[in-house]
Amino acid sequence: MRNKIGEPQVSNIMITKQVRYEALVKALHGDLYRYAYWLCHEKQVAEDLVQETFLRAWRALDALKDEKAAKSWLITILRRENARRFERKRFDMSEYEEVSIPDVKSTSTEQQIENIWLREKISQLPQEYREPLVLQVLGGFSGEDIAALLNLNKNTVMTRLFRARNQLKDALDDKQQQRGQHNG
Amino acid sequence: MDDLQFRRSIYADPKTQDDAVVLAKNTDPAKQKFATAVEQLDVEIAKAMQVPVPDDLYNKLILRQTLASHQQQKRKNRIHLALAASFAFAVGLTFNMLQDSHVRTSLGDIALAHMHHEEGFFNNNAGNLVSLAALNTKMADFNGSFVQSLGQLISAQFCPLNGTKSLHLVFQGQSSPVNVIILPSDPTLDFASHFNDNQFKGQVIQNHDNNVIVIGDKNESLQQWQNKLNENIIWSI
Repeated sequence: MRNKIGEPQVSNIMITKQVRYEALVKALHGDLYRYAYWLCHEKQVAEDLVQETFLRAWRALDALKDEKAAKSWLITILRRENARRFERKRFDMSEYEEVSIPDVKSTSTEQQIENIWLREKISQLPQEYREPLVLQVLGGFSGEDIAALLNLNKNTVMTRLFRARNQLKDALDDKQQQRGQHNG
Repeated sequence: MDDLQFRRSIYADPKTQDDAVVLAKNTDPAKQKFATAVEQLDVEIAKAMQVPVPDDLYNKLILRQTLASHQQQKRKNRIHLALAASFAFAVGLTFNMLQDSHVRTSLGDIALAHMHHEEGFFNNNAGNLVSLAALNTKMADFNGSFVQSLGQLISAQFCPLNGTKSLHLVFQGQSSPVNVIILPSDPTLDFASHFNDNQFKGQVIQNHDNNVIVIGDKNESLQQWQNKLNENIIWSI
């Protein structure tokens, strides 16, 4: 008796959960992948991180009450997963400072070359400057949001954002100056 | 707003809506130029950050979740199966115990059932009496014998009670026959020294390997009968 009443309800809940999950994946897997990529610079690792994150999200989906909070919720899970990765294999990634970006320069447009150059510069930013920048530019989070996500106070976040852009601007100015000298 | 403060604010957030920053931007062409340059930089940064997302990532994520939830389901099903098995086991056990407790009726119930079964069969004033010798022949099967007759013995016969051979004696009572049943002890039967229903009452005493049950109507003094039985039956060990 109980089963007969219970099962359709349970499977309804399951279907609702499934729909919710698929919507979440569809809407946010791109942002999350890019965020993971900028966290670890490795396509494969980024993919694994996103997979782990969504798997955990699926298991804990009932805990997500407000869909608007989904992105920061997922990012929190992903950051935790990333930290766990370092606990697992401490020496595997920590010394990775150079970025492995495939050589696409020969077949790329000028814009793409610009992007690749800037990508390298972004990668070379210290992690503590890069992460808030990614959250602000890619994630569209406010200073307060970023402070909450990274467990920092807002002033620290704003200082790091300032330094991140400052470094990138300096690099860009240097480059343009060099180019100017070449041309001149 | 001084230049350094302005630059810091713009670098920290080029899209800032802070009143002081917006005002400074709109009033100073140099600041305006700087802000525009940083905005342009931000557009470039945003473009650079848009690394390509693997095409199949979405499908992989859905697949991985489907597999995980399928396994979860399988685990759940196993748990359900285990629960169902335990439940069936418990039901079986309970059923067995109920069955068992049906078998485990009390001595009194068996004796009373026998009384009602043979009700009206014996006449309190019957003429044919059983002799002491005939009684003791039968008593020998239970390793006992009567020293003397307890009164008018109307009948002495073996009766199967609860599947066990027992000796059923019917004596003349005050208003209706008094029954004495000698039944070998059976540990599976519940023992109660006194029992009764709306018609009969009974008492049980245990002697060696036998239960001696006395049953009579409500007027009968069973204690007297029991005392007489105790005095008159000799049990050989």
